[in-house]
Amino acid sequence: MDETMRKRARLKTRLTPYGFILPACLTILLLVVYPILYGIYISFFDTNLVNRWNFVGLRYYLQALTDTSFLHSLWMTVIFTVSVVAGHFILGFIFASILNMDIRLRTIFRGILILPWLFPDVVIAYLFKWILNTQGGIVNELLMHFGLISDPIGWLSTSATAFPCVILVSIWKGYPLVMVQILAGIQTISTDMYEAAEIDGATMMQKFRYITIPALKPILTTILILDTVWVFKQFTLIWLMTSGGPGSSTMVSAIEIYKNAFSYFKYGLASAQSVYILVICYLIGVVFRRLLRDD
Amino acid sequence: MTKKTKNNLIRGIGYLILTVGCLCVLLPLSWMVITSLKSMTDITMTKGIELFPTGPTLENFVNIWKDYPIATYIKNSVVAVGGSTIFGVVCAALCGYGLSRYSFKGKAFILSFLLVTQMFPAVMKIIPYYKILVTVHLNNTRIGLLIVYASFSIPFCTWMMYGYFKSIPTGLDEAARVDGSSAFHTFLHIVLPLAVPGLVATVIYAFLQNWNEYMFASVLMSDDAKKTITYAISTMADAYRIQWNYLMCAAMISSVPTLAIFVAMQKYLIAGMTAGAVKE
Repeated sequence: MDETMRKRARLKTRLTPYGFILPACLTILLLVVYPILYGIYISFFDTNLVNRWNFVGLRYYLQALTDTSFLHSLWMTVIFTVSVVAGHFILGFIFASILNMDIRLRTIFRGILILPWLFPDVVIAYLFKWILNTQGGIVNELLMHFGLISDPIGWLSTSATAFPCVILVSIWKGYPLVMVQILAGIQTISTDMYEAAEIDGATMMQKFRYITIPALKPILTTILILDTVWVFKQFTLIWLMTSGGPGSSTMVSAIEIYKNAFSYFKYGLASAQSVYILVICYLIGVVFRRLLRDD
Repeated sequence: MTKKTKNNLIRGIGYLILTVGCLCVLLPLSWMVITSLKSMTDITMTKGIELFPTGPTLENFVNIWKDYPIATYIKNSVVAVGGSTIFGVVCAALCGYGLSRYSFKGKAFILSFLLVTQMFPAVMKIIPYYKILVTVHLNNTRIGLLIVYASFSIPFCTWMMYGYFKSIPTGLDEAARVDGSSAFHTFLHIVLPLAVPGLVATVIYAFLQNWNEYMFASVLMSDDAKKTITYAISTMADAYRIQWNYLMCAAMISSVPTLAIFVAMQKYLIAGMTAGAVKE
């Protein structure tokens, strides 16, 4: 009697943690793991998702590797990701460091600088489309008013300017999250460290290099990995501003794949290409963690 | 240069950078506000530069409300996003607590898997979601979108809550257990109240993420009566001629909820993120 009760109690303690994680894990299993497995499954089929299911093996995987438009889109995605993430971190670091100083109106500055994060991608995409518009767009109007250009420039419809514009807008939209994370991290660093360094005659740069960076490293690693994969998968802003055009000058992989699936109904190919994206994102995570491991 | 003047110089540069940064944020946003107050003639007829509306008007806000079922769109968004935020954050808080307080088989795997889920391309999930929702007759329903959105926010929210719970000393849990409190009771009445800043930051994050979502809403909610506000804006622009003043109006309306939530809860945000940005 005593024995069974004790056993039951022990079993209950052992199961408690699983009780806590069950709802989340069940949802993830059903709505993250299952769809992904299903997506991988589709990548082996020539299918319309209804009644045509022809097994084609690895054909789409091989096809994607020689598909110039897919490879081009990957290259565009790399350029896009590197520029945007660099922009996020440079701005995030600068603003967070200044906001951490003893300055007046800090809350107001911080509140304003966070604003871009609070607006939906859709809103930001159309706002900048309007600002850069050829007919009545304020940028062209101002440039013409001051005689810098004689005819309006199609900022988003010229291949030379479309990609830089999309990159700038993406930086503008996304830096606040990085800034907030870095700010939160900086505030956990004890001021004693800086004061001690100051007594020892450390310069600003030295303090930054030897106190701020090491203390922030764990936070930075996580947010760097997440920001990189989020930007790598960016869809909405680019889709609504240029739809990948003009030509293929802003055609990142997310848009290329979306078009394959929903404009050309090549579901199998799109899924195979998605699997490549998944693998690349995973490798990015692994590499960053290796590089930034503290040992 | 004395130390004091040097410090003043640095601070001066700091103010300068912040001011420039704020202008870069505020100028585009104020253009949205100005455009929304302009009449269509102001936008199409003016030759040359006309920064401000000739007669600022709120009639766009009235007209747009008449021409489009804005209230329905907002309701759809509120139900799907609000519901998914509650559902997602409850799951995330439970899971984050479990992960932070117990060690058990598979814990390390779950923790790293939470990060890996962020790497799954959205396009890859969209086809299966569509099929699943059609199979269970939940496509074009707010409940369907609610569940999908919850699955987006759970992984990262769990991660945030895990970080916050880890920053709370376990001594209280021990004391409560000695006093005979059950595990769930300890979680709900002892630890959770201490985790409110983290919880609020997580709520803000989940709400923002899903309120802003576009791609899945556009595929899963094709029915006009079921559109979310963010998706509805993009369909307004698809029309034959874009009416920028209407569009900017709708854009402002759709941004009100996130702004309101942020203003109401912003003092928690930085504090909640502090521990939320965790190390592994």
